[in-house]
Amino acid sequence: MALQKARGALARLVSVSIICMGFAQVAPAGMIGTAHLVNEESRAASLSRIEILLARQDVSRQLEAFGVDQALVVERLNGLSHAELMELEGQIESQVAGGDVVAIVGVVFIVLLILELVGVTDIFKSF
Amino acid sequence: MPGAIRVHRKSRLLPALFVLLAGCASIPPSVSELPVRGGSIELADTPFYPQERYQCGPAALTTVLAQSGATASLDDIVDKVYLPGRQGSLQVELLAATRTEGRLPYVIDGRLTAIWRELEMGRPVLVLQNLGVAAIPRWHYAVVVGIDAERGEVFLRSGTDQRRVTPGDTFLRTWQRGDYWGIVVLSPGELPANPDRSRYFEAIAALEQTGRAEEAAIAWQAALEHWPNDGVALLGLGNARLVLGDYRAAEDVYRELLDVDPGMVAARNNLALALAEQGKFAAALRQIDIALSENHDAALERELRDTEASIRRREAGGG
Repeated sequence: MALQKARGALARLVSVSIICMGFAQVAPAGMIGTAHLVNEESRAASLSRIEILLARQDVSRQLEAFGVDQALVVERLNGLSHAELMELEGQIESQVAGGDVVAIVGVVFIVLLILELVGVTDIFKSF
Repeated sequence: MPGAIRVHRKSRLLPALFVLLAGCASIPPSVSELPVRGGSIELADTPFYPQERYQCGPAALTTVLAQSGATASLDDIVDKVYLPGRQGSLQVELLAATRTEGRLPYVIDGRLTAIWRELEMGRPVLVLQNLGVAAIPRWHYAVVVGIDAERGEVFLRSGTDQRRVTPGDTFLRTWQRGDYWGIVVLSPGELPANPDRSRYFEAIAALEQTGRAEEAAIAWQAALEHWPNDGVALLGLGNARLVLGDYRAAEDVYRELLDVDPGMVAARNNLALALAEQGKFAAALRQIDIALSENHDAALERELRDTEASIRRREAGGG
């Protein structure tokens, strides 16, 4: 039973990997990529295929959960390097998202206004 | 002993206060760091894409992409970088989208002089600012299109402002709170104004990982003009050619690399693949043997054994 479950999971993983590998060009199996040498200390260089696939799955799920159209997810994933995939894995919630969002309430408003006037912030300019 | 407790508390508060004050006083950057006093530069022809609500990321990225000659529309870029659930765009997604447009994103040094130098090369710089403060952030992407060093002003395509003029020191504070993060968009073959070798190489390797071998080949070639005989750049060029199916050219590059660095196992492994792809199985296996005899790294040994096995399978007609 457990074996069957594991097999099912693996099959799903492989099917996802096939979808995800819809690249224009694919490196021949066995090629040692240049990233290995660019930064030998970086964890990304020694990542296994499975680790990368799992990260892709996780990031893909999260992008959908944050409102990205399913049809666009694969294209967005395809631009990410392995190191960036790892950076995003499980972290989308905590990453900085530049979008001009600000919540200003009560006394905070006064503080920000003063900071703005003395040139520390630039928060009230048009969005 | 309530008094003692009070003293104790005060003694803990004081250092904290100092740290806080030091934090406030440690805003060092100033427009005076610029190499050119009194000079001014502005890329006035940089296009402008006024942003929709929360979409400063797509607007800023479309601006720098357009300036580099890419043809993506603002709507295309919104689809690639806007994250509705976060009402914003993530930095790594800006990098990723740049690659899917066939361009090379390069993270510049976090200094105003670095922006200045890029502007001199005709490249506007996309920056991340925190227009608020750490506790109440307002994260914002904008594009620096000019600097007036004499007046101490920075010119931005920002939000719905086509030409926002910000006092230099205010800009530097908001940029500092964005961790001085800024990128330029390079066409393959273009080098940054003041290239950091490992950062530039990482940027190209990322292109390779995302299946952009054609662009990577051009970028590695440009790198080799700047760093002749560089081992990593040669490996990169060989790999790009291998991925593109140009096996003979890949073989030539790997051999050139092995002349420079005979002990590079990765080069020998990949040379073996390039040979096998041309049907030269005996020569390929000979390279693997040499690599195995020189290698002392367990992980690389596994790679070599895998490559050896795949060459033997191909030789036996398994494809």
